[in-house]
Amino acid sequence: MIRRLFIGTGVLSASTVWAQRAVVEREGSGKIAINLAGYRAGSDTASQTFLSVLKSDLNRSGYFTVTSSGATINVTGQVQAGSQMKAEVQVYQVSSRQRLLGKVYDAPAAAARSLAHKAADEILYAVTGKMGMASGKIAMVGNRTGRKELYISDMDGKNLRQITNDRSIIVGPKWSPDGKNIVYTSYKRGYPNVFITGRSKPLASHGGLNASGVISPDGKSMAVILSKDGNPELYIKSLRTGFLKRLTTSRKANEASPCWSPDGNHIVYVSDASGRPHVYIISKDGGTPKRISSSGTENVAPDWGKNGYITWCSRIGGKYRIVVGNPAARTMRTLETDWADYEDPHWAPDGRHIVCSRTSNYRSAIYLLDTLQDSPVALISGSGDWYSPAVSP
Amino acid sequence: MNKMLFKLIIFTAVASSLAFVGGCRSKNANSADMYGSDNLYGDPLMGDMPLNDIGGLPADGDRSVVDPVFFAYDSSQVNPEEASKCEEVASLLKKGKYAGVICEGHGDERGSREYNLALGERRALAVRDYLISLGVDPSVIQTKSFGEEMPSDMGHDEGAWRKNRRVEFAMY
Repeated sequence: MIRRLFIGTGVLSASTVWAQRAVVEREGSGKIAINLAGYRAGSDTASQTFLSVLKSDLNRSGYFTVTSSGATINVTGQVQAGSQMKAEVQVYQVSSRQRLLGKVYDAPAAAARSLAHKAADEILYAVTGKMGMASGKIAMVGNRTGRKELYISDMDGKNLRQITNDRSIIVGPKWSPDGKNIVYTSYKRGYPNVFITGRSKPLASHGGLNASGVISPDGKSMAVILSKDGNPELYIKSLRTGFLKRLTTSRKANEASPCWSPDGNHIVYVSDASGRPHVYIISKDGGTPKRISSSGTENVAPDWGKNGYITWCSRIGGKYRIVVGNPAARTMRTLETDWADYEDPHWAPDGRHIVCSRTSNYRSAIYLLDTLQDSPVALISGSGDWYSPAVSP
Repeated sequence: MNKMLFKLIIFTAVASSLAFVGGCRSKNANSADMYGSDNLYGDPLMGDMPLNDIGGLPADGDRSVVDPVFFAYDSSQVNPEEASKCEEVASLLKKGKYAGVICEGHGDERGSREYNLALGERRALAVRDYLISLGVDPSVIQTKSFGEEMPSDMGHDEGAWRKNRRVEFAMY
């Protein structure tokens, strides 16, 4: 079921010309002006969708301003679609007339959105050398059916699809490292067990609590919170043999929310061993955990990005805010947000944006935060509550 | 071929004797007298009582038999004024009126969902430990945490939160 959702971008055949990347002068806004006025789109719906999604993706990336005149970068080419879609994209630096990208995309017309996301990421990479986020997917929990089910959307909040129909409760979805499946806690068998999409047998179904499962970057094991030995503790479970290794022994404390370091050697998690919930790092081999959060009355829900930074949620002055910390330099900063509560932050694949939930007046929505300069953007709101977002790798 | 078959027989024999030993050990661990009555309620959780695998055990029960135990904010301590509810459950189970109980731990809406799952489980385990200290066979007590997912009061004030920080007894 899940696998089908991802083949859209797999069918692409492409002829690529990678030119040497040029150093691009930035405009006054700190953004690169990019002009798509010369891009020709057919009058069919798929072609129009492709162009409008491409423009919004470029704007949302944080690096570009889409303009119709006086740009640093010109995008030319054309898109046409019948049942099959063909999009030709040329990217030029205006001053030097140097071609930065030349590519032809071929895909079924139904894949217009994912094709545009892919083109947006490749344009960003060709111009700046940075990874984009447009092709990412967001997994989240929604309650619009009256039950708490798992949903997936594209990175722009569109293409929202309900994935589970367990008629139960789903908590804490996390992507598998290959981006093809989602691990989550569900009560569909009566007790909280850890499941993965595409497989009916649970990954963890011990006595007591089985929660917060998250698969290691090498795909071989899962960090998980279990209470089978009498207290919620952090374990690593081998996905091949089922062998369990217990990492924490805090009989008087709770552990929650593990997340692997990008190299898979450490795990960041929450423990209230000090009396209040704080964020800790422990080696995958165990040993003494190191606390990394200091202020705030609660520090929860850490996510360790591929950029090396950890983002988590901290209760500061009675509000939940998003913190970004550098575990190596032991520095951190709090993102500027309004009076609402911002929780469950998760790095986007560009390592610049953070997807999180925003709660105001007891209603939750999914928001995109920029760690650099742009204002928060609502991605999914209305029709019930949306929360616990996780972004595909 | 014969050698392989022989190996298989030896393996099966060893495996079944191990399973037998394992069975004995879990039976011992389930006898209440192994755990002294010095598990005082209100003490921090003892946290060393393994839970049964839930295979085949009921996942639901009657929640109307005994009132829920309520907890302080961010606490999993069973308060003395709540202890009588646990004693009622212990007495029903010891008299054989019910086969077992699921202690269902809940939290209020504040804090992260995953942290509240762990907190709800600790509340359920604290009640379980107290029931064990009252002489209930650990094998008939399951725990289940709902975290903040199933509030009994949908309000957003201290009055609602107080009712939501609870362990319910699902008797079966």
